[in-house]
Amino acid sequence: MTLLYFLTLFPLVPALGMLLARGDRARDALGLVGSGIIMAVTVVVAVMFLARARRASRLPGTSHVLSIISSAIDVILCAVILYNAYKYRNALTTVLGIVQLVGSVAFAAMTLPAAEVVTATPLYLDYMSVIMVLAVGIVGSLICIYALGYMKDFQAHDEHEAALRGQTAPDRRPQFLALMFLFLSAMFVIVTSDNLEWLFCGWEITTVCSFLMIGYTRTPEAIKNAFTQIILNMLGGIAFLAGLMYLHLNELPMTITGMVDLSGAGTAQSALLVMPVLLLSLAALTKAAQMPFHTWLLGAMVAPTPTSALLHSSTMVKAGVFLMVKLSPLYAIYPVTGFMVTSVGAIAFLLAALMAISQSNAKRVLAYSTISNLGLISACLGVGAPEAVWAAIFLILFHTVAKSLLFLCVGTAEHHIGSRNIEDMDGMFSRMPHLTRLMMLGIMGMFVAPFGMLVSKWGALVAFAQTGNVLMIMVLAFGSAATFYFWGKWLAKLSGVDPTAQNVEVNVHKTEWMALNTIAALLILCCVAFPVISSGLVPPYLAMVFGRVPYVIGKDSMYLMVVIVAFIAVVLLTSFRVSNKPHVNVYLSGVGTDKYRHFRGSMGHEVKAEKRNWYSEDALGEKRIGPAGSVVCCSIILFALLCCAWIGPERLAMSAPSVLRGKYFEGSGVVGIFIGTVAFALIAPLVGGLIDGIDRKLSARMQGRVGPRLLQPFYDVAKLLRKAPASVNTMDDTYMACALIFTVVGGGIFVSGSNTLLCAFMVTLAAIFVVLASASTQSPFAQVGADRELLQVMSYEPAVLLMSVGLYLATDSFDSIAVTGQSAPIIVYSAPIFLALLAVLTIKLRKSPFDLSYSHHAHQEIVQGVATEMSGGTLAKMTLMHWCETVLFLMWVGMFFVWDNPVSWVVALVVMAATYFVEVLIDNTFARSTWRSCFKLGWGVALVFGLLNLMPILVDVFI
Amino acid sequence: MDHKMSRSPWVIHYDGSSCNGCDIEVLASLTPLFDAERFGVVNTGNPKHADIFLVTGSVNAQNLPVVRQIYNQMLEPKCVVACGICACSAAYSRCL
Repeated sequence: MTLLYFLTLFPLVPALGMLLARGDRARDALGLVGSGIIMAVTVVVAVMFLARARRASRLPGTSHVLSIISSAIDVILCAVILYNAYKYRNALTTVLGIVQLVGSVAFAAMTLPAAEVVTATPLYLDYMSVIMVLAVGIVGSLICIYALGYMKDFQAHDEHEAALRGQTAPDRRPQFLALMFLFLSAMFVIVTSDNLEWLFCGWEITTVCSFLMIGYTRTPEAIKNAFTQIILNMLGGIAFLAGLMYLHLNELPMTITGMVDLSGAGTAQSALLVMPVLLLSLAALTKAAQMPFHTWLLGAMVAPTPTSALLHSSTMVKAGVFLMVKLSPLYAIYPVTGFMVTSVGAIAFLLAALMAISQSNAKRVLAYSTISNLGLISACLGVGAPEAVWAAIFLILFHTVAKSLLFLCVGTAEHHIGSRNIEDMDGMFSRMPHLTRLMMLGIMGMFVAPFGMLVSKWGALVAFAQTGNVLMIMVLAFGSAATFYFWGKWLAKLSGVDPTAQNVEVNVHKTEWMALNTIAALLILCCVAFPVISSGLVPPYLAMVFGRVPYVIGKDSMYLMVVIVAFIAVVLLTSFRVSNKPHVNVYLSGVGTDKYRHFRGSMGHEVKAEKRNWYSEDALGEKRIGPAGSVVCCSIILFALLCCAWIGPERLAMSAPSVLRGKYFEGSGVVGIFIGTVAFALIAPLVGGLIDGIDRKLSARMQGRVGPRLLQPFYDVAKLLRKAPASVNTMDDTYMACALIFTVVGGGIFVSGSNTLLCAFMVTLAAIFVVLASASTQSPFAQVGADRELLQVMSYEPAVLLMSVGLYLATDSFDSIAVTGQSAPIIVYSAPIFLALLAVLTIKLRKSPFDLSYSHHAHQEIVQGVATEMSGGTLAKMTLMHWCETVLFLMWVGMFFVWDNPVSWVVALVVMAATYFVEVLIDNTFARSTWRSCFKLGWGVALVFGLLNLMPILVDVFI
Repeated sequence: MDHKMSRSPWVIHYDGSSCNGCDIEVLASLTPLFDAERFGVVNTGNPKHADIFLVTGSVNAQNLPVVRQIYNQMLEPKCVVACGICACSAAYSRCL
């Protein structure tokens, strides 16, 4: 395909044009046309590839010429690095630059005379490359379009600042925009080169480009961070080069496909591959900003936002994981390499997510989240099983789209609200209505259930369970909970509706809107097209590489998720929710004034009520966690390198011990889930209300009172529904309705015997909407409640995920229906996990010691935390939701006691009743505790009991 | 208020200014000892949830805005109960 050559070379045209063009208009036109052509060609390439449906299309090559060119480019790049190192007097960079220069020249001297070794396949395309070409071409070009408008504001701001100091700001925008297009070209080379030498050439171009882009502003900080980036990435580059030399010296193939083909041979020659695979993986880990190399990504934040977006989402870091995707079949054959990649990735995933909690700078949160997600991707790839690679590819795809949207949104917001601090985003929903909705969509895309990222995480969890990778299951359970928290509190901050706010988004450039809207549409499109992508693009690739197609998520679950994504998108982006309820102000103890969130203080002044997020810097600060993580990851990498150096390669080339589990149930299908949902919606509120009545009666008796009538909860709800409508904003009732719907759907999924993980995700989704409903009111009481609700979810989330894993251990299926086919109840296999679930049930059922979200220091439970601003129908919906949740959680408990015997249902009912009685007893015995003990209990029991229960599998693999 | 409403009276209690006698009595009557929950009474402390506004103590220029704001934030149907002689007729403060 000549088109492929065109695609890789064409971005150079706008890049050159940018350098030559004068004036904004010319650059805008050039950028728009250039990006448009890149996008169009990308799509054409993808469509042509898919239409021909070939396994891989290759071109016979003039590769000798290309190899000379790539060697020349390598040398030029070294010269650029050395020039900058000399200019800024950076010794370490000089040394590394010289090492790399000598290496490149030596390598060229070795390989170029022996051209026949290198003449393998030049540019090629397979399903994975098509996915990456689409991601780079479309998202990357959109970021370029965005940069056109963004850089105008950036330059104006720079000039303004310079004028204040009496200087003039040089206009370096042409170089910047040119670098962006050059970057795209380099990325196309990386994803379409089978030849490692050319891949390395593209690899180094991206390194140098990002160096120049990070140092764009030429401030001391920018220059320092740019050098951090180049030093760390040159370490990776040198590892890459060493790997190439090793391949050449041992006469191993210099292409990825060649390496994969050879690895299957099992000869002494193929065993030698372990060292180059390790070195290439090391290079990939530096590029993907994994610990201990993660600091360059954080430093890259000083650059203008399009740089961050380009580096973090679609290109630079994705080059690293792309190489690992290509190498993934080798990880299963050389376990030491897989061990290194998985462990480093897992540690980065967990620790970066924890560190993200302690950050208030939006771009730093995004950076940590990127490190965390890439860690998960690496961890999946290191496993080397098609199930895990399936999850990794989807993570790459959805991360690209969602993260670029978020970066661009933060960039625009920064220019219009003057800050990138999350704390300054109060009332954003009203200040920048459209932008904030896109941002919320992006955040939801990163961590909420039916959106792609979480579905991919679900896939990862299934993959780890299927391959018996117990430690990774634990890491994933805790890492996801931490991820939930830091995204959740940002989302809650954004959702705040400020009726008095001025709309400040009128001046946003058209090109910025164009890019933002298109990426947002792309995000929704990717989620909606999930079933198509997961059957049309990814399985063919896995079949080609691994020889089998994994089964991770059932079709019906996917269809259900598509419907829910569409639903959320409609709720968030359209204005169908506009309600005509009379507006009331938020409750501020009766002394609120007309101004937004202001009250009359005791001294007669007007005081603003403010609420700050929870960061826990002391426990989760980057200074505390970062170094520890780096030390551990360094030791893992050193360990792997020493293994390769000391132990003979033959002994390292043994297939990783793994046992594949799994009987694939399909649940009860979409129709079954629908029937289940209707049934649950009809029965659960009745049963739940009755349980609530019994609860109140029982509590009263325990306190020596008579207590209310049994049906009192129904009377309460009936009254609430008859109250006059009123609300503090137009959103909270809608959010609450969504929460109720998702809870009912979650229950429907469970009772219809479908996937329990999906059920747990639905419940979490409902919790997010409760948080949104209460945070959107901007009442300080409600916001404190919302924060605590998030904390509660973070506390119990690991144990709930483990519950599904416990089910899987016993039945080899995640479907709740599977228990009825067992000859013994699953409690027999998963007793510790059951205990962990029991322990967090108090948090989930919002019972006394851990009923945090309903209370507030000043008012105790009287104003009712999250529900402070909910009245009438909204409060009734919340009550109904709680009833449904109670029923669902008790059914989770009962599930552990059901087997293929009718008597078991009675046993389960008895256990459920006993459990609830114990909960009421706890509720009446213990005084309310603090969030710290709630959090410690939740994570402690999940960790201890989870490991206890899962350990046998870990050992089982080796027996 | 109709029958269906009266089965679930939720109370918000506000003390204006007084000797706090009524205040203490009201709270005492809402403690578990007297078990007002038998009749569905809940002491909410949140005007958005409450149906009955229970005012004790006299309402004066100082706290009139507070009483008005709490009343306005309650949803219909609602009712106000003035409890004790201070709230009903300003009692001794009228003599001053």
